[in-house]
Amino acid sequence: MATQIVMDQTGDTRHEFDPGNAEALARAERRFRELTGAGFTAALRTGPGEVTRIRSFDPNVQETLFYPRLVGG
Amino acid sequence: MIAAVWLRGPARARLHALRELYRRFFGENTPDARGRRLLAEWLSPAQRAQFEQHRYFDVVGCDTGKTYRIHYGTAANVHEIDEAGIATMGWCFVPSGFLVPGDVMLAQKIALETDERGALALANRFPAATHSEHFYRRPF
Repeated sequence: MATQIVMDQTGDTRHEFDPGNAEALARAERRFRELTGAGFTAALRTGPGEVTRIRSFDPNVQETLFYPRLVGG
Repeated sequence: MIAAVWLRGPARARLHALRELYRRFFGENTPDARGRRLLAEWLSPAQRAQFEQHRYFDVVGCDTGKTYRIHYGTAANVHEIDEAGIATMGWCFVPSGFLVPGDVMLAQKIALETDERGALALANRFPAATHSEHFYRRPF
């Protein structure tokens, strides 16, 4: 199972999906586009404590984290 | 029976305290606790150890190589530090919405480690001496 983690006021909301299921994969890709289109940043872990940003949906990624648009505080 | 004898007095109290600590730190399902867990999962081992000990952790900016110290909190909690660990400038940038401290800190870490210039471009600067260590909330 792959997971999309979306930061929100509850801490986070997790969406799990089976990458082998075409319908679930399409939903995950749609969610990715909707979130990034709304200003969320998508990131993944490449090693312990190592992170990278991604700008397009990758069906092979096991875990993607989304955080809302940054603003000056 | 053996365990009951072994767990008399101080030992039982210690076990109870440990269980309570574990329950409060890992077992809670509050937004705060969920945010802390997510943050802990994404920190490097060194950052995690630093956070557990000091309530902050350091990250290195991907563009300049400068070091930033991210304190537990949701605003005005990022300091640029020098080689001696002295804060030289404060940077205030946060994810929009009302996120818990763990989430805010994780977003700040990712931003500085993957798009330092972008994060600083939208951040507001503040003097490093504005806040003391006591300003930042205790996470647990």
